[in-house]
Amino acid sequence: MSSEQTLSADVVIVGSGVAGSSIANELARAGISVIVLEAGPRVDRQHFVENFRNLENKPSYQGPFPSVPWAIHPPNQITPNEYLHTTGPDAEAYQQVYLRMMGGTTWHWAGCAWRYLPSDFELKSRYGQGRDWALKYEDLEPFYYQAEVMMGVCGPDPSVEDLGSPRQQPYPMEALPISYAAQQFRKLISEKTPWRVVHEPQARNTRPYDNRPTCEGHNNCMPICPIGAMYNGSYSVYHAEAAGAKFIPNAVVYRIERDSANKRVTAVHYYDPDKGSHRVTGKYFVIAAHCIETAKLLLVSADEQSPDGIANSSGHVGRNMMDHTGVQVSFISGDKALWPGRGPLETNVIDNFRDGAWRDTRGAYLVHMVDDNQVDLATALAISKGYVGRELEEQIRYLASHTVRLFSHNEGIADPQNRLTLSQTHKDVLGIPHPEVYYKLPEYTVKSCEHTRGMFRELIGLMHGTDEQWTPGYFPQDHPAGSTIMGTDPKDSVVDGFCRTHDHENLFMASSSVFSSVGTGNITLTVAALALRVADTLKKELSHA
Amino acid sequence: MATEQRCFPADLHLSTPNGARLNRLLRMSRRDVLMGGMGAALAGATGAAAATSDDADIAAFMAVSQRLTDRDTLDMRIGHALFAGIVHATPTRRDQVSRLHDLMTKNSFASAHDLAKAAEQADPGFKDVIHDIMTGWYRGLADHKVVVYRSALMFDITKDAVYPKTYAAGGPFYWTQTPPEVAVPTGEPALSPSTFVVEPT
Repeated sequence: MSSEQTLSADVVIVGSGVAGSSIANELARAGISVIVLEAGPRVDRQHFVENFRNLENKPSYQGPFPSVPWAIHPPNQITPNEYLHTTGPDAEAYQQVYLRMMGGTTWHWAGCAWRYLPSDFELKSRYGQGRDWALKYEDLEPFYYQAEVMMGVCGPDPSVEDLGSPRQQPYPMEALPISYAAQQFRKLISEKTPWRVVHEPQARNTRPYDNRPTCEGHNNCMPICPIGAMYNGSYSVYHAEAAGAKFIPNAVVYRIERDSANKRVTAVHYYDPDKGSHRVTGKYFVIAAHCIETAKLLLVSADEQSPDGIANSSGHVGRNMMDHTGVQVSFISGDKALWPGRGPLETNVIDNFRDGAWRDTRGAYLVHMVDDNQVDLATALAISKGYVGRELEEQIRYLASHTVRLFSHNEGIADPQNRLTLSQTHKDVLGIPHPEVYYKLPEYTVKSCEHTRGMFRELIGLMHGTDEQWTPGYFPQDHPAGSTIMGTDPKDSVVDGFCRTHDHENLFMASSSVFSSVGTGNITLTVAALALRVADTLKKELSHA
Repeated sequence: MATEQRCFPADLHLSTPNGARLNRLLRMSRRDVLMGGMGAALAGATGAAAATSDDADIAAFMAVSQRLTDRDTLDMRIGHALFAGIVHATPTRRDQVSRLHDLMTKNSFASAHDLAKAAEQADPGFKDVIHDIMTGWYRGLADHKVVVYRSALMFDITKDAVYPKTYAAGGPFYWTQTPPEVAVPTGEPALSPSTFVVEPT
């Protein structure tokens, strides 16, 4: 079934997450026509909040966001998985979750808005490991600030607490006051260790901002902020629409059409839920469909002109899959009650191991003391221990007030063997293959995780902890990167420093898929900054056209 | 182009988590369903109306619940819903609750602890019944569904320190204040321990 009319815009964007929607907003505000194609449905926040409240398994980040058959996303981090099929010796360490929905995966991020360190962009030249980016921190700095203003990021005064990423401007909002639990943790670290706890920069309002309210500490940033005090991609969708951008939900792009020279993209084709096919033409095209779906789309679009997939003359589409691998432990503190779960989820970080000379041999990491309400977990645990009545209530109060959870982001590194391919055995209802990822943890990351375990054991001792519950093995932090890697050499990279594909002059990638290294900070602010830089490039080129 | 016609409900994306579970199940093979042990969820989602229960059964459930929570009063409306869910998930619970009630009335138990301990000694199967009752009142869950969220007893006993997620009411930055201290518990478990499995994210 084909559509009767062809849609057209100056710029056609695939994906409506923070990257796609922020580009759409910038371009539409500059008077450029934009169409954004989103595979998933459009759902409002209040529906997700209702879903959360009715969810049996409250810690399930995907739970409130059921996927639709024509745009499946991974239902959970369980291997084997209904959608994202992971293989290899560390398959479970790459069992990422993400959302295919209008607004994207930031519906359930925690608002952690880190800039990368200058060294993160120069890992190869400084430490002889991994890859350098095809840009420097200085190139991205103005766009980092633009992204911080767009999202509404709060953070510490650099003259008081320098997070290592030089700033030309202060944070748009003052740092979030940390909880009592985080204050005690910070005090302990300061007095008993050589490390420090810093305020985490967050896309969360510490005052009314962008017509959204101040954070009230509902402790539910993941999976869903109930009041919109935390930024997510849907707000950029609304802004872009107000500026004139057209968003089409339930539009599953499956083909990227090029000219006869295979140099320029001429159109993309999408299926609606009933597999009706539609063609959308444009002058420029941006794939902003999340690291995994972006590479999947380029591979799915293989044809006679490009038998290995679009933009893939290097053979690196789908390779170099990276993540922040996590180490996690929960334990019962033997010290005073902390009562975690008062305020936002993630507010404080030990940042001492984000960079150092040792990065020539092991990966960097950062550590969160998660400020998560533990009442439900404490109740389930106390019931399983056999308590009832008054004794059960005593236990619930004690466990809920003394449980400490630590987790880390450990630096992955680009390895072409860690590769996304199309499943040979699983297809969705539209006939599009599911993604499959082979993953073996780099030794660089394993060493980093070992170092983290040592730190956690030391912290458990300092807090007189008992009942340690280590999450087995390594777990994914849902920060996939690298599938359309950036570089200066078209022979071993997919995009250049401006996120333009080496192979097709009017095709850009806006996603963590372009990352050449993954650093330690959460990836979203860097995704947004890169996207805004793409928007800047497109504005300049279209204004000269 | 010939294509298979599909007809998805227009509001499929607005389905509830329970409904979504059903949608997923419908796409899963029988093997997946059996492996996932989700037959009960399927039955629950498609299924029959809540089990009917007579006044005596409910009265027995409420009496046993009050003893097992060491409370004089519990919300009858929540009790009805919990009992219906518990019996729907495991039909033998109706008889088990009745027998547990018999055990309770034939003896004089001064506490939840005493009743639970005696019950497990009398019949190891009572342990699962008591777990269901504790999970219902304290976590607000029955039959793998949320019966109540804010009104679950776990939040009643922690309300001087924390709010149920999404229901904070302390105003901006309430979290900087010092929460109450909690003494080290001295009570003993009444039942033998069970395996504890953290549900996946």
